[in-house]
Amino acid sequence: MQPEISDLVVQHDPKTLIRLPVNKSEIAGIFERFENKKALRVIERIPAKDGLLDSIAVDRLMLTVHWEMQRLAEEFYHGRRVLQIVRATIEALHSNGLKGPIRIVDVGCGIGYTIRWLAARSALPQEGVELTGVDLNSTLINEANRLAAAEALPCRFFHGDAFSADLRGHMYISTGVLHHFRGDDLVAFLRRHNSETTQAFVHYDFQPWALAPFGSWFFHVIRMRTALARHDGVLSTARAHNADALVSAAQTAVPELASGIYGAKIWNTPAPRVFHALVGFRPELVPHLKQTLGRKMGELQ
Amino acid sequence: MTLLLLFLLASLDGALCGFRTCMGRCPLIRKKGHYTIGVLRGVLAAQVVSGFSLICLLIVAAFARDPQLLRGDLEKSAVRMLFVFIPYTVLVLGNIALRVIPSTDIRSATSVFFLGPLTGIRPFVMIIGVLAGIWRAQLHETVFLGLFVLALMLSVEYVLNFYCSRLQQRQIRSLI
Repeated sequence: MQPEISDLVVQHDPKTLIRLPVNKSEIAGIFERFENKKALRVIERIPAKDGLLDSIAVDRLMLTVHWEMQRLAEEFYHGRRVLQIVRATIEALHSNGLKGPIRIVDVGCGIGYTIRWLAARSALPQEGVELTGVDLNSTLINEANRLAAAEALPCRFFHGDAFSADLRGHMYISTGVLHHFRGDDLVAFLRRHNSETTQAFVHYDFQPWALAPFGSWFFHVIRMRTALARHDGVLSTARAHNADALVSAAQTAVPELASGIYGAKIWNTPAPRVFHALVGFRPELVPHLKQTLGRKMGELQ
Repeated sequence: MTLLLLFLLASLDGALCGFRTCMGRCPLIRKKGHYTIGVLRGVLAAQVVSGFSLICLLIVAAFARDPQLLRGDLEKSAVRMLFVFIPYTVLVLGNIALRVIPSTDIRSATSVFFLGPLTGIRPFVMIIGVLAGIWRAQLHETVFLGLFVLALMLSVEYVLNFYCSRLQQRQIRSLI
């Protein structure tokens, strides 16, 4: 499976999170092997110094792409969709006796659209819910914090590991992150939810189905302007995991949580939504959640 | 009356172009001001295009051998254009109106299945509309004016996009 350009042009040391220099011809070689001319054209346009990608140019490009990608979330009313399940989960946590502040962590939050939307458009912060976002990319985190400050939003963003002791939360959410993990890495990522603090996770990603690649291509051609966003957006749909693969990985990784798929079908018809979510909950939360969310919640195992 | 209707449609098209070209360029959550400026910019661009078109029309009319015949020919062409433009406008406005329904699925569906494709076919609708208008025109002046207005209208989105892109890049450069 081909990688996305954005996964290659920004690289970090997995332990120290320090940004690593990226060799232009090396990543071009990866796409040459796939005969992917579109990706090669994108990489060709990124300036380089001594064979290494110019990090400032890359950061500017990534920021342009993330500003543009926010449009996708806006058009899909993603904030509202996340709020519905987050609110139901918080109610379930309270009804099960959890007292004190609840921390929500958006894993791989980018410029933090979902968290900022929740902070701006919901009463969650006033109800004692701490809204946070974590990403490995410090440029995106700086931007998320700048945007939150510009609108005086009650949320915070951190550069680091979302599952580390100082950043961990009660509920993990993400959007478009799962398909970046291939093979065993998906199980390894989900295994990191294994913590006493973790009460739930809701990971949204593209839902693969027959027309998804065509639909995604069309949407990106019409709506997206940067070549990188178009390329990676379409590829993301092709790389997306199906429901069985996601649930099976979750069951292997975090068997103590009841996992399943949320919001896969429109109004319980066979028509699929663009996004579905892999969800996991402490078993004691499930009855309350089923009552609140009804048929939107699929079978939890 | 017909020309006035075409002017109003051009202004609406400009407003929507202005809205579209500023989408995805402001990452704030509350951004009514950003969109309002975008729409006004689009309306202004449509006024500039309409103004140029009017000047061109007046010049052509001033040199026309038979101004009455030109006026009649232009009116008939404009009516034929409306047969293409009005159904398209109704479709666009109908889908925008559907977004009043408080359902995330319906709102997303209007965007994915209708407004996106309708945006995609906009240049073709404009070309077909103008061609339908000038196809049976009697005078060369009408054909020239039709093509001139078409070129101007097609350039509106391109110019607005170019302007907004420059604005965005300047903003991003100030950050990094």
